[in-house]
Amino acid sequence: MKKMFLIIIMLVMVFSLSAKDKIVIDGSTTVGPIAKAFAEYFMSINKDVNVTVSESGSGNGAKSLVNSTCNIAAMSRFMKDKEFKASVANGVMPVAHVIALDGLPIIVHPSNPVKNLSVKQIRDIYMGNITNWKAVGGPDMKIVTISRDTNSGTYETFHKLVMKKQKIGKKCEYVGSNGAVRARVQSTNAAIGYAGLGFVDNTVKALKVNGIYPSKKTVSLGTYPIARPLYMFTNTYPKMGSNLYRFITLHLSKNGQEIVKGIGFVPVTNYKKTRR
Amino acid sequence: MKSVNISDSIQISKGASLLKRLASSFTELILLAIASFSTIIVFFIIFYIARDALPFFKLEGIGEFFTSIRWYPSNEPAEFGAASIIFGTLIVTLVSSLIAIPLALMASISLSDILPFAIRQYVKPIIEMLAVIPSVAFGFFALVILAPLLQKSGGSLLGGVVVFIFFPILLLISYILSNIVYNKYLKKKVYYKYVLFSVMSGLSVFLLVYIYLVLSRIQVSSGTNILNVSVILGIMALPTMVSVSEDALWSAGRDLRENSYALGATRAETIFKVVLPAAKSGILAGITLGIMRVVGETMVVWMASGNAAQIPGPWYNIFEPVRTLTATIAGDMGEADHVTGSSRYHVLFAMALLLLIISFISNFLSEWFLSRSKKKLRD
Amino acid sequence: MDINNRKVLNKSVTGFGYFSIFLLALSLLIILLPIIINGLGAFFFKGTVEFRRVQYEKFNRGNNEDILAEINKTNVHKNYIYKKMHTFMDKIDEEEIEDSYKYEKNVNELYKLIKDLIGPPLDEDRPVLIREQYGETRWDKAEEKLDEILYKREWDYTNKDKIGRQVKTLRLNDFKGTEIEDIFRYIETNIEAIMLPEFTFYYNFLFDKSYDAHFFGGIWPEFLGTFYLALGAMIFAVPMGIIAAIYLAEYSKEGKILSILRTFISTLSGVPSIVFGLFGLAFFINTMKVSDSKSVLAGALTLALLILPTVIRSSEEAILAVPDTYREASLALGTTKLKTIIKVILPAALPGILTGVIISLGRAAGETAPIIFTAAVSVGSPLSFGEIFNQPSPALSWNIYNLVTEHEAVNEIRHVQYGMVFSLVLLVLSLNLVAVILRARITKKLRG
Repeated sequence: MKKMFLIIIMLVMVFSLSAKDKIVIDGSTTVGPIAKAFAEYFMSINKDVNVTVSESGSGNGAKSLVNSTCNIAAMSRFMKDKEFKASVANGVMPVAHVIALDGLPIIVHPSNPVKNLSVKQIRDIYMGNITNWKAVGGPDMKIVTISRDTNSGTYETFHKLVMKKQKIGKKCEYVGSNGAVRARVQSTNAAIGYAGLGFVDNTVKALKVNGIYPSKKTVSLGTYPIARPLYMFTNTYPKMGSNLYRFITLHLSKNGQEIVKGIGFVPVTNYKKTRR
Repeated sequence: MKSVNISDSIQISKGASLLKRLASSFTELILLAIASFSTIIVFFIIFYIARDALPFFKLEGIGEFFTSIRWYPSNEPAEFGAASIIFGTLIVTLVSSLIAIPLALMASISLSDILPFAIRQYVKPIIEMLAVIPSVAFGFFALVILAPLLQKSGGSLLGGVVVFIFFPILLLISYILSNIVYNKYLKKKVYYKYVLFSVMSGLSVFLLVYIYLVLSRIQVSSGTNILNVSVILGIMALPTMVSVSEDALWSAGRDLRENSYALGATRAETIFKVVLPAAKSGILAGITLGIMRVVGETMVVWMASGNAAQIPGPWYNIFEPVRTLTATIAGDMGEADHVTGSSRYHVLFAMALLLLIISFISNFLSEWFLSRSKKKLRD
Repeated sequence: MDINNRKVLNKSVTGFGYFSIFLLALSLLIILLPIIINGLGAFFFKGTVEFRRVQYEKFNRGNNEDILAEINKTNVHKNYIYKKMHTFMDKIDEEEIEDSYKYEKNVNELYKLIKDLIGPPLDEDRPVLIREQYGETRWDKAEEKLDEILYKREWDYTNKDKIGRQVKTLRLNDFKGTEIEDIFRYIETNIEAIMLPEFTFYYNFLFDKSYDAHFFGGIWPEFLGTFYLALGAMIFAVPMGIIAAIYLAEYSKEGKILSILRTFISTLSGVPSIVFGLFGLAFFINTMKVSDSKSVLAGALTLALLILPTVIRSSEEAILAVPDTYREASLALGTTKLKTIIKVILPAALPGILTGVIISLGRAAGETAPIIFTAAVSVGSPLSFGEIFNQPSPALSWNIYNLVTEHEAVNEIRHVQYGMVFSLVLLVLSLNLVAVILRARITKKLRG
C-alpha cells in the first residue's frame, strides 16, 4: 500500500512539475502553414511553451474558440454572425487579428494552354455550364473541377467572390485541404482548382483572372479579384506581455513577416524589401 | 462452461458459511458490473449519437435526406440530400465485395482443404499481416501510389489486371471444357482433345486481347475514384472474410469429409457439395463482417475516393469519384460552424446514426448466421 | 459424371485454390514493397554536407572540427558562385548591362534555385525560416535540383487543340554572353565537391524532433504521441477487458445475460471507428470534460473503447483454454474461487492474454479516425509524461494523413511521409510478430 502511495505522489509531482504553458491553435488549413511555422519559431525561442496546431477547418476553429477549447482560432474567413452570437452567449469575446493576406489563385495543370479566365467563365465552369476546355480556348478535354470541402473558409471565400453564392455543380470533387487540391491538379491534365497563394508552386499553373496574375503585389494592392485577409481570433485581446500576446503579435515583427513571406503569403505590414 | 458447474458444486458441497457466500456473490456482482461495461458503452454511443442526430430529422424532415441528391450544406438555404452519399457508400461496398468475396471464398477453401500444412503455415501470417496494416497506410498507398498510376494509365492497368487474373482462369476453364467434351463425344482419338483445348484457349486469348483493347481505351479523368478505393477496401476486407469462413469450413469437421471420401467423392466434390453447404452460415457471417469493415472504413475513402457528392453517370461508371458517409463525417465535422443547433452539424450525426444502424443490423445478421451454423453443427 | 471429368475438375479446383492464395500474397507484396523500399530511404540515404550541418547545429551531433573543415572546403566553391552571382545581380540593379530588365526575372529564379541547392551565403544574416537556412540535405534531391538549375522546363502550347508539351531547354541559353555563363558548368562539374555526399544511416529519424514542418529532423513527437495513445488505451482497456473475460469465462452461466453480454460486445466491435471519434468528442471532451480541449487522455480513452472487445475476446479464449484440471486441483486444496482465478488460472492464461493485448496494442497504434477529433494535432512538441493529461499530441497515423494532404510542400517531404508510413507499419507488424511468436510457444507448450 505504501508503495502505491509513493507512486501516486510521484506521479502527481511529475504532473505538476511538467505542466507547461500551452497555446492551442485550431482552425483553417490555409492559415495552417503560417500557424505551424509561427508555432515552431515561437517554441524555439520560448522553450517553456507548448504550441499545438490542429488543422481542422475554419468552422471548427470558430467552434473550438466558442467552446473555449482553443486559445486561437485560425480562420481564412471572418466569423459569421451566428458564431459571434454563440460565442458571446458562451462568454467569449472574439477579437480578430489579421495576420496575413492571401490570394486565391485559380490553378490548372501546367500542360493546359489556357492562360486567362474571367470570373464569369470560372463561375460557369464550376456551375457545370461549361464542361469542356474547348469552350474557353483550350484543347478538347472534359473539365475536372476540384473544390475545397464546403467546411473550409477557402470554399466560402471562393463561393462568395467567384460563385456569387451560385451553386457549384454536382460533378465537382471535394478535397480536404489546399495541398490536396494542388495534388489533384498537378496529377490531372484537365483539372481546375483553387488554393491559397502559398500553395502554388511550379507543378501547377496559376491563371490570370480578369487579366490579372495572382502575385504578392497584385494581392496586396487589391487588384487581384479573389483575395482575402487571413485571421486569427482570440478571446478578448490577450493580456499584454503574456505568451499568447507575444504569439499573436508575432506577425507584426520583422521575423514574423519574413516567415509569412517565406511560406508564400503576403504580410500585412510592408517591411523593407531586401532582395537577398 | 463445464468447469464452472464443477467448481460451484464443490463450493456448495463444502457448505461455505453464509458470509463467504455473500462475499462471493458480491465479487460476482462487481465482475458482472464491469463485464457489462461494453453494454453500457453501446447504449451511451447510441444515446450520444441519436441525441445529436434526431434534431436533424426534426428540423429538416426525413424525406430530403434519403431521396434528394442535392448536397449543398453551406448554401442559403442549405440542402441536405444525402442520397448520393448513401449511394457512394453502397457502390463502394458493392464493388469491393465483388472483388473480395470470390477471392476470400477461394482462399478460405484452399486454406482449409487444399493447401498442405507446410504452405498453410506461411499463408496464415500473410492474412494476419493484411489485417493489421493500419488503414491510413492503405490510404497512403491508394492516394500516393495507386491514384497517379490509375490516372496515367488506368484503362490499360485495369486491362492488364483483368488479363492477368482471367488468363489462368480461362485456361483452366477451357481445359475443363475440352476434357468434358472429349470424354463425352470423342473418346477415340487423343489428339482431338489437344486440338479442342488449343482452339478454346486460343479463343479465350482472343477474348482477353479484345477486352484489353477495349479497356485500355478508357480515359480516366481522376485517379481517386470508385475503382481505386474499392480495390483497396476489398483487400482490407479479405482477412476478416477469410479467417471467419475458414473457421467455419474447418469446424465442418473431419468426419464429414471422410464420409464423403468414403463414398468415392473427389476432393472438389467434397468441398462444393458437402463442406460448403455445411459451412454456409459461417461463411455468410464472415462475409457480413468483412462488408461491415468496408462500410465503416474512413481513412481510405477520405483520402482516395475523390469526395464528389454525385451519382456517377452512368451509375456503374467506376472511374468516377464518389463520396461516402464516413468520409463526409470526417471531412465535414471540421465545419460544424454554428456550434450546436444547426442542421449542418446534426446531419453528420444523422449519418453516424445511419452507419450505426447498418453496423448493428449486419452484426446481428452475422451473429444469427454464426448461431445457426453452431446449431447445425450440434445436430 | 465421367470419372475423367471429375478428376479434371478436382485438379482445376486445386489450381484455383493455389491461384487465389497467390493473388492474396501478391496484393500484400504490392502494397508493402513500395512502402518498405521508399520508407527505408528515410533512414538510409546519401547525406550532403548540409545534412551534417543541420545535424550539428540543430541536434549537436558530429565533431566540430570535422564539420568546420567540410564547410570550409565547400565554401571555396560557394563563395565563387555567390560572388559571381552577386556582381552580376548588382550590375542588373544598377542597369550597367544592356537590357538588364530582360535578365531580372530569370536571374532571380536562378538565384533562388542555387540557394535551394547549396544553401544561402554564410556571410549574410540568417533567414528566419529554417528551410531557407540550408541547402538540399539529401543527394537524390540535390541531383533533382541540379537538373532544375541546368534545364528549364517550359510548356509548348503551339498546338491549341492539344494539351501542351513539356520542353526541356538549357537554362544557360538565357544567360548567353553574360559573365555568369560559365556558372552552370562550374556547378555541374563541382557538384560533388560542393555537396560532399556521403552514405548515411540516419537512425535518429525516429528519435529527432522535426524542424520547420518536417523539412528537417525526424518524427519523434509523432512516434511518442502514438506510443502514449496506444499505451494509454491499454491501461484502460486491459484491466477492464480481463475482468470482463474472467466473468464471461468463469462466473457467468449459459443463459440470457451471457448471450446479451456477448451480443453487445460484438456489437461494440462492429461500430465504425469514425463513430467512436464522434462519440469521444461528444462524451469525453464535451460532456465529461476530461480535458479542456483535445488531449492524449481523451484520445486514449476513445481508443480503449475501440479495442475493448478485442481484449475481452482474446482474454476469454485464453482463460477457457486453461485445462479444467488446474481449476479442480486448486479448488480441491480448499482455495476460494477468486483466489483460484488470481493465483492459478490467470498466470496460466497470461501468455494467451498477452498475445491478444499485443495485437490490440497494434490496432490502437494504427487507428486514425477515432483520434481526429479527440487527440491529434498537426504540430506539437514531444510531450513529457505529465503532459498527456491535458495536452494534445501529434501521432503517426494522423500525421501521415496530414503530411500527405495538408502540407504546403507535399512533394519536398515525400521521403518523410514514406518514412512515417514505414515506421508505423513496421511498428504494428513487429508487435504482431511478437504476438505470433508468443502464440507459437503457447501451442507448443500445450502440445508438449
